[in-house]
Amino acid sequence: MHPPATEPARTAPLFHVEARIKLLGALALLVGIALLPRRLTLLYLFPSGVVLALWLWARMPFGYALRRLFVVEWFVLGIGLLTLLHPGSLPLFFSIVAKSNLCMLTVLLLTWTTPFQDLLQALRRFRFPPVMLGTLALMYRYLPLLVEESRRMHRARASRTFSRRRGLAWHNLAAIIAQLFVRSAERAERIYLAMCARGWK
Amino acid sequence: MVLRSVADARWLNMHLPDGFLDARTTLLAAGAAAVGIGIALRQVRTALEPRQMPMLGLAAAFVFAAQMMNFPVAGGTSGHLIGGVLTAVLLGPSAAVLVLTCVLLVQCLLFADGGLLALGANVFNMGIVSTCGGYMVFRLVKRMVRMDSTRSTVLASAFAAWVGTVLAAISCAGQLALSHTVPWSVAFPAMTYVHMLIGVGEGLATGLIVLGVLRARPLLVAGAAEKAPISLSGLFGYGLLIICGFAVFVVPFACRWPDGLESVARALGFDEHAAAAAVEAPFADYRLPFVGSATLATALAGLIGTVVAFVAAYALARVLVPALSASKKDAPTRN
Amino acid sequence: MTAAVELRQLSYRYPPRGVLALDKISFSVGPDECLGLLGPNGAGKSTLLLHLNGLLPEHLPEEPAVWIDGQPLNRQNLDVLRQRVGLLFQDPDDQLISATVFEDVAFGPRQLGIDGAILRSLVQFSLSQVGLEGFEAREPHRLSHGEKRRVCLAGVLACKPSVLVLDEPTSDLDPRGRREFKVLLQSLPGAKIIATHDLELVVDLCSRVVILDEGKLVADGPTLSLLSDEKLMLAHGLEKPHSLLHHHPHGPME
Repeated sequence: MHPPATEPARTAPLFHVEARIKLLGALALLVGIALLPRRLTLLYLFPSGVVLALWLWARMPFGYALRRLFVVEWFVLGIGLLTLLHPGSLPLFFSIVAKSNLCMLTVLLLTWTTPFQDLLQALRRFRFPPVMLGTLALMYRYLPLLVEESRRMHRARASRTFSRRRGLAWHNLAAIIAQLFVRSAERAERIYLAMCARGWK
Repeated sequence: MVLRSVADARWLNMHLPDGFLDARTTLLAAGAAAVGIGIALRQVRTALEPRQMPMLGLAAAFVFAAQMMNFPVAGGTSGHLIGGVLTAVLLGPSAAVLVLTCVLLVQCLLFADGGLLALGANVFNMGIVSTCGGYMVFRLVKRMVRMDSTRSTVLASAFAAWVGTVLAAISCAGQLALSHTVPWSVAFPAMTYVHMLIGVGEGLATGLIVLGVLRARPLLVAGAAEKAPISLSGLFGYGLLIICGFAVFVVPFACRWPDGLESVARALGFDEHAAAAAVEAPFADYRLPFVGSATLATALAGLIGTVVAFVAAYALARVLVPALSASKKDAPTRN
Repeated sequence: MTAAVELRQLSYRYPPRGVLALDKISFSVGPDECLGLLGPNGAGKSTLLLHLNGLLPEHLPEEPAVWIDGQPLNRQNLDVLRQRVGLLFQDPDDQLISATVFEDVAFGPRQLGIDGAILRSLVQFSLSQVGLEGFEAREPHRLSHGEKRRVCLAGVLACKPSVLVLDEPTSDLDPRGRREFKVLLQSLPGAKIIATHDLELVVDLCSRVVILDEGKLVADGPTLSLLSDEKLMLAHGLEKPHSLLHHHPHGPME
C-alpha cells in the first residue's frame, strides 16, 4: 500500500494529454455516472462504454484494476446489503454497485495515466490552496520513508516479543506509532532548516 | 477504527465510494467540507509559523502510515486507526483538518478508497466532524476532569476519539438516508452501533499513542497545550459548521418532523421526499421491546454507550498513567 | 588574503535551559583550504555548522561572530551570504524534499530567481559535476544512499557557493561509495569544511584540522601532526587513524 508499484510506462497512451483535461474529463464522467437513474437501464451502457474504451486505450492492466476494485468491493457490498434490508430495493442495489464500480474505474484510469506530480500541477493551476499542495507534495515524498521506518521498528520490536498476546501487540503498535510521530516531527524540523539553507522563506 | 478481515479487505467503514450519495447530498456535504477547510486554511495562515509548515506534510505521511498498521481484534480480524482526533490532539484542530483532507484526497486518488465526488462527504465526516468535534470534546473533558496533566490528556483524547468516531458515523448515516440510499431506520442503528464498538478501538489506540508521545516529548502534543492552538472564532466556526451539518443530515430524521419538512421540501422542489415517505413507512413503526422506535432505541443506547466509554477511558488513564508521588507532581511533563 | 570563513569568539547557548553548546570558538579557513572538524559525539560540531550559514542563532546578533568572505553575517546580508555557504546535511533524506531529482536540484536556484532554459542547463551541469548525468527524472526514494548524497551535493553546488560545509558526508556509505565521494570532493574547488568521524577521509582531503570537545576548541593545526598525536586524539574521544600508524607527530619514523 504505497504509491502504485505498477508504474505506467512513460510512453503509455493518454499520458501526454494535459493533466487538467484529464482531471476535468474524469470529473465530468463521474458526474455523468452519478446522475444515472437509480436502477439499471440502457442509459448505463453509455458511460460503461466510455470507461471501457478509455480502459482499452490507456492499456491499463486488468489484473491491476481488478485487484484495486476487489479491496474496495467489500465496502460497496457491505453498504449495499444495508440497502437490501428493505423490500423492493434490489434494482437500487444493482445500480449502486454498478455506479460505484464505474466511478472507481474512472478514478483508476485517471491516476494510471497521470503521475501524481502532474495531478498536483493541475490542481495548482486550478488555484488549489498552496498550503495543501505543499502538504500533498511532502506527503507523497515522505510516505515510503515513514513506511520503511515503521517496518524497521516493527522488526526491532518483534525480535524482542516472545508472546502473542493481543494486549502486547497493541502496546507495541502504539509505541511504534508514537515514536514515528516524534521522529517525523524531528525530521520536519531538519527539513525546515535544509530548505532555509537553500534560500526558502 | 476500521475493521478489516485477514485478507485486508474492508468491511464497514466511513470512506463512502461514489454512487451512494445523490447529487443534493454530495453538493451539501462538499459545501460543508469547503467551509471547514476554509476555516482551517485561515487559521493555519495566521497561526502557523513557517517553521511548522513542513510538519503538515510529514504529519500527513505519518497519519497515512499509522492508518496502515494492523491492530489485532478478534480472530483474524484487524482494525485500523483513522486518527482524526489523534491528529487534532497532536497538531491542533485546524492543522488536523488540512492533514486529514490531504490523506483522504490521496486515498481517494491513489487507492480508489472513497469516491472523488464523495470526497466532500468523507472530508466532512472524518476530517471535520470527527476531528473538530472530537477535539472540542477533548478540550472540554480535559478542563472538567480533576487529574494531573498527563492522565487527563490521555483520558480526554481516548474518550474524544470514541465520540468523534460515533459522531462521524451518525453524520455518514444521515448522508446515506438523505440520499435515499439506505433508510434512516436502518442506516442509523447499523452505523451507530457498529461504530460505537469500533470507536473503542480508536479510543484505546489514540489514548495509548498520545501517552507514548507525552512520555517522549510532551511539548509535541500541541493540541493539549494550555493555550489552545486555535482562536475562539475558529472553534466557533467549526462548532457552527458541525451543528449546521447535523441539522441538514441528521436532525430531519431524528426529530421526526416529517410534515413540516415535507411542505418545506415540496416548496423547495425536493420532490423525492414524497417517494421517501412511502418507502420508509414500513419501518416507521418498528418497535423494540421496551423502547418506542429504532431511532429512540439507538439514541438511548448511544447515551449509555457514551457513559460506558467515558468510564472506560477513565479506567484506561488510571491504569496507564501511574499516580505521581507528591514530589514528582512538579515534573516538567506538566503543561 | 581574506579568509573564506572566519569565526571570532563564537558562543552559543541552547535557548530554554541555557546550556553552553559552543564556547568562544575562533578559527579561520582560507579560500582554497580544506578544514577537517573533528570531535566526539555531542561536541557541538553540527551546531557549529548551522552557524555558518546563519541558521543559528535564531536571531542574528548585531555584532556577529561569523564572517564569510570578509563580511559579517548579520541580518542585512544574511540572504547574500547564505548563498555563498553551501551546507550539506548529514541525512540526505532531510534535504531531498522534492518529487524528482530535477526539482530538488532546481530548488535552490529557483529561490534565486533562475528559471527556464538557464535553470535546466544549470541542473544538468550540477548533476554532471557529481557524476549523475541523466538522473533528472528519477524519484528520491528509489535512489541508493550514495546517490541521494550526491543529489544533495548537486543541489548545493547549483547555488554556486564559495564555501562547502559538509556534515558527516561519508557516514552510511559503503567503501566504494566512500571512495567515490572522496574523489568527487577532491575535484571541487573552493574552501571546504568537513565535520566527520571518518579520519581516513580527513587524512586524504584536509590540510588542516580543528578539534572540538564539549563546545570548546581544543586543537587547531596541520592534519598530520594533530592526527598522529595519539595522546591528543585519545583524550578527545578520537584515535590515531591506521594510515598514520607509523607516522610520528614530528615526522615519519623511517
